[in-house]
Amino acid sequence: MIEPADDTSTGLPWPKRWGGVYGLVMAVFVIWVALLTLLSRVFS
Amino acid sequence: MNALDYVILVGSMVGIAAYAVWNTRGKRDLRGYLKGSGGTRWLTIGLSVMATQASAITFLSTPGQGYESGLGFVQNYFGAPFALVIVAAVFLPLYRKLKVYTAYEYLGHRFDSKTRLLGAGLFLVQRGLAAGITIYAPAIVLSTVMGWRLDATIVCSGLLVVIYTVAGGCDAVNLTQKYQIGVIFAGMIAAFFVLLARMPAGLSLGDALTLAGGFHRLQAVDFSMSPDRRYTFWSGTLGGMFLALSYFGTDQSQVQRYLSGASVRESRLGLMFNAVFKIPMQFFILLLGVLIFVFYRFERPPVYFNKAAWSLQADRDKGGKLRSLDSAFTLAHAEERRQIEDWIGARHAGNAQAEAAARQAALRAQERVEAVRAETRAALDAASPGAKANDSDYVFITFILDHLPHGLIGLLVTAFFAAALSSKSGELNALGSTTTVDVYRHIVRREASDAHYVVASKVFTAFWGLVAIGFALFANLAENLIQAVNILGSIFYGVVLGLFLVAFFFKGVGGTAVFWAAIAAQALVFVLYSTLSISYLWYNVIGCAACILLGLLLQAALGLSGARQAPAP
Repeated sequence: MIEPADDTSTGLPWPKRWGGVYGLVMAVFVIWVALLTLLSRVFS
Repeated sequence: MNALDYVILVGSMVGIAAYAVWNTRGKRDLRGYLKGSGGTRWLTIGLSVMATQASAITFLSTPGQGYESGLGFVQNYFGAPFALVIVAAVFLPLYRKLKVYTAYEYLGHRFDSKTRLLGAGLFLVQRGLAAGITIYAPAIVLSTVMGWRLDATIVCSGLLVVIYTVAGGCDAVNLTQKYQIGVIFAGMIAAFFVLLARMPAGLSLGDALTLAGGFHRLQAVDFSMSPDRRYTFWSGTLGGMFLALSYFGTDQSQVQRYLSGASVRESRLGLMFNAVFKIPMQFFILLLGVLIFVFYRFERPPVYFNKAAWSLQADRDKGGKLRSLDSAFTLAHAEERRQIEDWIGARHAGNAQAEAAARQAALRAQERVEAVRAETRAALDAASPGAKANDSDYVFITFILDHLPHGLIGLLVTAFFAAALSSKSGELNALGSTTTVDVYRHIVRREASDAHYVVASKVFTAFWGLVAIGFALFANLAENLIQAVNILGSIFYGVVLGLFLVAFFFKGVGGTAVFWAAIAAQALVFVLYSTLSISYLWYNVIGCAACILLGLLLQAALGLSGARQAPAP
């Protein structure tokens, strides 16, 4: 569905594809929610 | 504030604005004025996007939310990473490909003129009102606490931002936002470390967090499915995603920031910067409020943080209820402190049984403290029904003025003004652009020189600045200010997002169907908002879903002609 962007490479050492960047952002989100949940549980 | 604080405040604000005006002087072409020089790098875009969203309300009001309710508000931002990924992957390449100045130009390409005008109109109404709140919010709090005149505070800060935004356009906005966000971060981090240093001797960070958790201030994530709860994981992730998708994807004040990028890559990285750091930034600001709550368990806080409002009524109510409540508060707070010291003593002694008993006693003492505060609030509300802001908006500024050294006070007050000006400049820049491109150039005068449109854009930017100042001068807001902005956004954003999602993903739906669907969906949101009491974030979902479904139904039922052959993903 999505048209290719005018630059498909991220130009970063890693991840080289935008899909990898988006995956990394999602992974960071999961880590944040896990840490916040842990904080809530430990100090409840 | 003393002379040093005022030098820091005035020097920083005027200096940054003057630098931006000087650095961007001589912009004469429309593209450069509305989209910048086209060479903006990802970090500037990322900071600019962050600065536009994080207004003074964020920094003044959010610590108060943390103080009163804990970390739960952070869940409102859980949808932001998802939304920013969608914007980076879907919205951004399309806008860049069509070389549009505004997001609503895309609606014109994809549908028709009336749908483009509807999208632009909804933006202008919603953002025009929000711009008034953006300037009013810090002014009401700071003028009350500092003893400044409210109208003078609004006019001075409002005119400063109008001058540099009109003079320098998009580049001036990006440039000032980069320095302003630096001032903001410096101020907030300094406040955090001073707060830690001011905690009682012997109280570790672990003790402080234990106290905060014991008083239910560290409940950051709530997986409850109840739609009545204002902040849950689900409303924050789903409703928050729709709100953030509307805001970052379709609100011109944000779209204009990342369209100024040197390439898709730079714009995407700027958006991903926000996707990664938005949640930790909000967490940090809320945590600041939570730690201020802990600090005030040992240091007697004012019974009512808006001390000016309290003093005004107390002077009228000589020897009356407010002063006796203040005395009761002193006693209740002293008892609470004694119980908390027992709690910490038991914790340090490793006596779990005594710790549990002391904690229960401290919770009961805290309930008495809160009961006196609630009684004071009720007495003040009864005496002054037109009270203009929630008391929690005064928590952070009270802490700053009472417990930070001079110099740092100036830095923090500068940070609040920097936040106000940075978000306001982004909004004005977008309002001026949309009025010029989607209304003036599209309807009133189609063929004119670039220089003419640049002048028109400056006039419209100044016009919206004056509208915002006028709205702020006559506003009378009783809700918590950050919620007022979010509620206003949630009422309009869902429908606008629905327009864009139909444009992107439902190629068979044409302009007439989606236009009337959007009108009906907006009416539905108004009706539901006035009759239901659900979390306001859900209106983003409802407005968006209603617009899409009604668009599909109208297209099918009326057999209206399909979409124009314009790019879609």
